[in-house]
Amino acid sequence: MSYTLQFGQIWPFLPRLLEGALISLQIAILAFCGGMLIGTVCAGIKSFGPRWLARIVGAYVVFFTNTPQLVQIYFLYFALPDMGILLSSFAAVVIGMTLNAGAYLTEIQRAGFESRRVSEMEAAEVMGFSRLQQIRYVILPHVARVLFPPLSNQFIIVTLGTSMAAVFGVEELTGEAFTINSQTFRSIEVFLVVAGLYVVLTLAASVLLALLGRVLFRVRTELI
Amino acid sequence: MHHLDIAGLEARYGDHTVLSGIDMTVGRADVIGLIGPSGSGKSTILRVLTGLLPPVAGTVKLDGEPVNYADAAQVRRLRDRIAIVFQQYNLFQNMSVLENVCVAPVKIKKRPRKEVEEEARLLLEKVGLGDKLKRYPDELSGGQQQRVAIVRALALRPEILLLDEVTAALDPELVSEVLDTVRLLAQEGMTMLIVSHEMAFIREVASRVVFMAGGRVVEAGAPAQIFDAPAEARTRDFVSKILRH
Repeated sequence: MSYTLQFGQIWPFLPRLLEGALISLQIAILAFCGGMLIGTVCAGIKSFGPRWLARIVGAYVVFFTNTPQLVQIYFLYFALPDMGILLSSFAAVVIGMTLNAGAYLTEIQRAGFESRRVSEMEAAEVMGFSRLQQIRYVILPHVARVLFPPLSNQFIIVTLGTSMAAVFGVEELTGEAFTINSQTFRSIEVFLVVAGLYVVLTLAASVLLALLGRVLFRVRTELI
Repeated sequence: MHHLDIAGLEARYGDHTVLSGIDMTVGRADVIGLIGPSGSGKSTILRVLTGLLPPVAGTVKLDGEPVNYADAAQVRRLRDRIAIVFQQYNLFQNMSVLENVCVAPVKIKKRPRKEVEEEARLLLEKVGLGDKLKRYPDELSGGQQQRVAIVRALALRPEILLLDEVTAALDPELVSEVLDTVRLLAQEGMTMLIVSHEMAFIREVASRVVFMAGGRVVEAGAPAQIFDAPAEARTRDFVSKILRH
């Protein structure tokens, strides 16, 4: 291969790439937090709710975990305007990713709810804990600890998924890369730098989450 | 007056009758050894006494006062006085040793944390776990976990302690450390009901032994009587099988 890497043309664009990375992170956090909200409610319904409601939640989960995220966002962005709902590309991406994350997070949290240990609840009961006190002191801390690693993983997946926003013209990290690529034609360099930034982003998130898990829930994970 | 007075107690799991008319009296500072084959209902008695399995018939009197297991408030008050230790320890995995012991007295009974922790420290030292306060259950051996479970029950200051096969899940070399703890409690005059397959231990520590089979009390008496001169054929059969190995 006779190609010579020339990063010189890319460095001036680094501030823009960093800005893009910030927007990626913003989308990821919004979608993940929204998804957590949906996931907690839906997992609660699936585990404890009435059957008809659990069926509806089940259909939602099946739909969103079995269709491509890109198609879901396309639908929000291009089909909804026909029905009179106009979304900005940023909003369409965030809503689409939220609904998608919500479906996955429903399944993850349901598994957590169902891992609650009957024996510990029984011990708490004979020690005089009320049902509410059992939830607060025994179930929730346990569920949080069990769920922390898979939830952290899901956050990384959501973060990487934000690159899809570029397709809709959102100027996040990949979107910026598209723009810079068309201006410099240094594709390999641009996408190498962008890939590096994604690695930095996700590694930083992993380490931060692992530390958080250790401190809050005594989750034993390797930091990297 | 008896400390605990059980009469005609019946209990079921679904359609399956597990206790069919249990009569038993327990005096203050008595140590009752409950023995019998698996499925005889020994552990079920303990579950019924703590309100985990509501009885379908019969009465339980605590210091002469009948307990109504359908009344949640009464069951709560009862649980201030009767504590149970389980075969599988059932420690809270998300709490340190000290927290396991202190959580109920502090959060549920609203006693001052300092006082409770002081007491917990002393109790844990007494069972040889003074250096494990900050450890978590999954960092301890089974024997250590079971001793924590016993201390956790004691921190509730119960009048009666129920021990449900507390050594059954332990490796043989860890059994003695738990039995030492129980022996200590017996010497201090704690009223106890002990379900166990450790016959030598029951014989040594129990003031009275109750042999059960098929959800009934077959025979009760002093350890020497039950183990050396049982009156009933079923007791004789069980004891001879157990003592042979």
